[in-house]
Amino acid sequence: MFFQQLVNGLVSGCVYALIALGYTMIFGILGIVNFAQGEIYMFGAFGAVTVYAATGSLALAILAGLGAACLVGVLLERFAFRPLRGTHPLVPLISAIGASILLSSLARFFFGPEDRPFPHEFSAATYTVFSAHITGMQLTIMGISAALMTALWLFLTMSRHGKAIQAVAMDSDAARLSGINVNRAYVATFLSGSALSGVAGMLMAVYYNATSPTMGLLPGLKAFSAAILGGVGSIPGAIIGGLVLGVAENLGAAYLSSNFKDAFAFIALVLVLIIRPRGIMGQRK
Amino acid sequence: MSAYVFHVLIMVSIFAILSLSLNIIVGFAGLVSLGHAAFFGIGAYASGLMMIRGMGFVPALFLAGLCTAALGVALALPALRVKDDYLAIVTLGFGIIVVMVLMNLEVTGGPDGLVGIPPAALLGTPLYSKPGFLALTLGFLLVMILSVYALKQSRIGRAWAAIRDNDVTAMFMGINIYYYKMLAFIVSSFWAGLAGSLYAHYTAYINPQTFGMHTSIQILSMVVLGGIGSITGSLLGAALLVVLPEILRPLADYQDIFYGALLVTMMVFRPQGIMGRVKITEIFGKK
Repeated sequence: MFFQQLVNGLVSGCVYALIALGYTMIFGILGIVNFAQGEIYMFGAFGAVTVYAATGSLALAILAGLGAACLVGVLLERFAFRPLRGTHPLVPLISAIGASILLSSLARFFFGPEDRPFPHEFSAATYTVFSAHITGMQLTIMGISAALMTALWLFLTMSRHGKAIQAVAMDSDAARLSGINVNRAYVATFLSGSALSGVAGMLMAVYYNATSPTMGLLPGLKAFSAAILGGVGSIPGAIIGGLVLGVAENLGAAYLSSNFKDAFAFIALVLVLIIRPRGIMGQRK
Repeated sequence: MSAYVFHVLIMVSIFAILSLSLNIIVGFAGLVSLGHAAFFGIGAYASGLMMIRGMGFVPALFLAGLCTAALGVALALPALRVKDDYLAIVTLGFGIIVVMVLMNLEVTGGPDGLVGIPPAALLGTPLYSKPGFLALTLGFLLVMILSVYALKQSRIGRAWAAIRDNDVTAMFMGINIYYYKMLAFIVSSFWAGLAGSLYAHYTAYINPQTFGMHTSIQILSMVVLGGIGSITGSLLGAALLVVLPEILRPLADYQDIFYGALLVTMMVFRPQGIMGRVKITEIFGKK
C-alpha cells in the first residue's frame, strides 16, 4: 500500500515537476507568474488527441501536441505579457488570469465540454517492486520526465540560447548591453517551458485516457504550489517540489482523506509560506 | 416593471456590494484576492444555517458578516506574509479549499447545497416581494458606498493608499502595514459576508458551485473593468457584468471567453478601467 502510493505519487509528481519547470523558468526570467501554464498543458493534450483521432499516428500526435503547446506559449508571451513588461506585478497577473480563462473557454468552445478519450495503449506490462505494481505507462512517464529534465539542464547550461536565458534571468539590462537579444531569450523561455507543459499534458491524457477543457486547472495550480515549495526560480527546486507534492498528495489521500486530496497541495503551500517562504531550494525570497 | 427587471436589479446590487468589497483589497490596499467568492459563500452558508435553525434575519445577517470577517482574519494571518503572485495563489487555494469543505461537510448539505432557507424578514414580516427586497439590498449598498467613501478619505484610507503605492516607504513613514492590510481583509470579508447572506435569503437555495473560482473571477472582472480603486467604477463594473450576460443570454456559453478576453485587453490597453483616472501602472509605480 505504502509503496504503491509512493509510486503513484512519483508519477503525478513528475507531471507537476514538468509544469513547475515552466512556471519557475518564466518567473526566473520575467518575475511574473504565468497563470495560464495549466492551459498550455491542456492545449498540448488536446492538440495530440485531435490529431491522434484524425490520423491514428502517435508520432504526428506528439508533434501536434508540442506544436499546440508552443504556439499557445508564444502567443501568450507576445500578446498577454510583452506589452506589460515593467509594470506592477498585479497587471500581468490579472492579464495572465484572463488569458487562462480565455484559453480554457476557447478549448470548451472548440472541443466541447465533455471528456475526450486518448485511446493509446503503451504497454500492458506491469512490474512488481516491493509489492507495488508499476505499469508500463507509469515507467514511461517517469522515464520521459527524467529525460526531459536532463535535456532542459543541458539546454540551459550548454547551448547559446540556454546561456542567454540564464544571463537575462540574472540581469536583463547587463545581458542587453552584452549584445544578447532579450526578446529572443523571453521567447526561448516560453517555448521551452511550454514544450515541457505540453508533454506533461500529453502524458496525463494517455495515463487517464481523458482530456477536458478544465484538465489544466488543478495540475496548473498544484504545479505552481510545487514551484513555490521548491523555491521559485530554482530549476532543481521545481523538480524536488513537484515530486514532494505528488508523493505527499497521494499519501495524504491514502491515509488521511481522499475527499480532500486536492486540498493537500494548498495546505502544504500555506505551511511552506509560513515556515520557509523561500522554499526548499530557494536562495532568497 | 416586471419581476424580471427587479431580479436583475437585485443581482446588480448584491454584486455591487461584492465588487466594492473586493475593491477595498485590490484597489485601496493594492493586494490581490482570487478567492473572494469564498467569503461570499461563507456569509451565505452561515446566514442560511443560522436562520434554518430559527435565528432571526437581522442577527443572522450580522453574525454572518462577523463569521466571514473572522475567516478573513484566518486567511490573512498566513496570506499576508506574502504578496503579489504568492498572495494570488494562496487566496486562490483558499477559495478552492472552502468550496471543497462546503462540498464534503454534512451540515452544509454537500454538493446538493442548502435548501429551504427562510426569506429575509424585517420587524417580523417576511420580505417576499422583489421590490421590497430590492429596497433592502439598495439600502445596504447605499450604507456601504457611504462608509467605503468615508473610509477611503480617512486616516485608514490614506494608510492603504500609502501601502499600495509603496509599502516600504509606508513602513518607514511609521505605518503598521501588516495591521492595515489585515484591516482591509476584515472590512472586505465582512461586506462580502453580508452580500452572501442577502443572496442566500433572496434565492432560498445555495450550493457550493455558486461560490467557486468562476464567481471570484467574475467579481475581479467587475473591479478591473470599472477601474481599480474607483468606487463608481466598481458599481459600474457590477452593473455591466450582471446586465450584459442577461442581454446576451443566447450567448451564455461564451461568457467566459468574454471575461477572459476582457481582463487581458483591459490590462493591455486600458489598465485604469472605465472610470479610472490614473493608470494602475502609474498608481503602483515601477516594480
